[in-house]
Amino acid sequence: MFEFKIDDSGQQQAPSGGLYDLAIVGAGPAGLSAAIYASRDGIKTLVFDKSSAGGLAATTDWIENYPGFPEGISGPDLMDRMQKQAERFGAELLEFEEVTQIEPVSKGHLRVHTASAEVFDAKMVLLALGSHPKKLNVPGEEEYYGRGVSYCATCDGPLFRDKDVVIVGAGNSGLQEGLNVLNYARSVTFIEFLPYSIAEKILQERTMNHPKSTFYFNHMLTEIKGDAVVTGVVMKNRETGAVVELPCDGVFIYVGYTPDTRFLEGLVEMNKWGYIKTDAQMWTGVEGLMAIGDVRASNLAQVTVAVADGTKAAIAAREYLAELEV
Amino acid sequence: MALLNDQIRDQVSEMLVDLPNVVRLVMFKKAEDCPYCSIIEELITEVASTSDRVTVEVYDIEHDKEQVAAYGIDKAPVIAIVGAKDYGLRFFGIPANYEFSTLLHGIQVAGAGEPAQLDAATKSFLAGLNKPVHYEVFVTPTCPYCPGAAVLAFDMAVHSDYVKADVVEAGEFPDLAGRYNVMGVPLNVLNHTQRVEGRAPAQMIVDAIKASL
Repeated sequence: MFEFKIDDSGQQQAPSGGLYDLAIVGAGPAGLSAAIYASRDGIKTLVFDKSSAGGLAATTDWIENYPGFPEGISGPDLMDRMQKQAERFGAELLEFEEVTQIEPVSKGHLRVHTASAEVFDAKMVLLALGSHPKKLNVPGEEEYYGRGVSYCATCDGPLFRDKDVVIVGAGNSGLQEGLNVLNYARSVTFIEFLPYSIAEKILQERTMNHPKSTFYFNHMLTEIKGDAVVTGVVMKNRETGAVVELPCDGVFIYVGYTPDTRFLEGLVEMNKWGYIKTDAQMWTGVEGLMAIGDVRASNLAQVTVAVADGTKAAIAAREYLAELEV
Repeated sequence: MALLNDQIRDQVSEMLVDLPNVVRLVMFKKAEDCPYCSIIEELITEVASTSDRVTVEVYDIEHDKEQVAAYGIDKAPVIAIVGAKDYGLRFFGIPANYEFSTLLHGIQVAGAGEPAQLDAATKSFLAGLNKPVHYEVFVTPTCPYCPGAAVLAFDMAVHSDYVKADVVEAGEFPDLAGRYNVMGVPLNVLNHTQRVEGRAPAQMIVDAIKASL
């Protein structure tokens, strides 16, 4: 019924400092995979994360399609294992340290500036920034964040036991996390902008056949209402224009993702959504700077793909660093 | 069957075997409406069995009035984590899943008598405190960010006699969680008035403490 996990993130070691071979910005699946390969290869590696390590995958309740786990594995567990694996090989991890600037100094020297005014030097940098849940930007969303509006069902789902919950977005994330919330809530209503779900069939079957679920397709959420806490939502039928008000206690929002790349404007090329453009080998065009995982344009937002990007980047890093020595 | 598997048990033992001071896990349970009381008692007994530097005492919140008063307990289940002195570390509810780390951290810092990780500016602020601070952190066992928030509260409480730190498993205390409208975790509440959502850096907590005084 209960598991007992040991997480030592409260006892972070100070970085050893000096010139790093490789700095990795982001400790999700891409960043940690690169760190595992690189540090195992003797490359002095420092990984930053502006939050806890693990990235979005660590807030995913259950991952069923990551190879090697036939019964599936919880997202936090999978990421905890990746972190431990990277640290075992000597990768240094700096959590809650937001990178605010990458400054190219010279070939084989990039300077990483952080929000706490620290400066780190590295021969090469991997941008593994990932993405974060997109906001709906509707009235009430910001006001009721933490008071019924949430972007993390794994964290906050247990607080909605026997309550009525709305999940906005019926894609893979919405349905996967909806399944988690269905364990606790009295009812879960899914609201999807499109006339259909683009989620995997297996997730559609599990949620749509669930006795506690209701689906509104082709509806747009327009407002989150409340007093001290969330009390309901307002949505509009996109076909008929009819407005529907639905009382509820909580709203979980899963309407896609957006990258945090604004600090890189003027340095690397991005598409109109802020994802970083790279060549086929994931180089950004800036000397010594690669982008990997979800932050890369045309990514598939899958853990396996991020892992593959991290692996390829670490191997490229080995070659790049070797060339610098010549 | 044991709650802790061999691997976790070994890790716990390694973490607790050399504590400078003995740590007493003083649990208060209640006879009714406490589905996890027996599991919590079993858990802390298993933890204590890994190190002779950790002991367990169990009291009943209804009957053991003297102990209830001595530890300032107002609800159960709770574990008071007591080192060379009572630093005011309390864990309300079951320290399961990610929150097991919070319990272990509490034992370590209470046993050491000093925080694991507080920056100089925070220590300096705490040294100047002259009013009580009630630092509550609401968590759920499945929240990966929550231990980071909870251990900061424990660190501050160990460092300052004015700070008392309650980590509360929100799901088991719906009335208290309802009072603060806890619908997202971690949630830090300072002196019942200032709330800081998320795993916040120490400086944000310090600012909230200042605002609460």
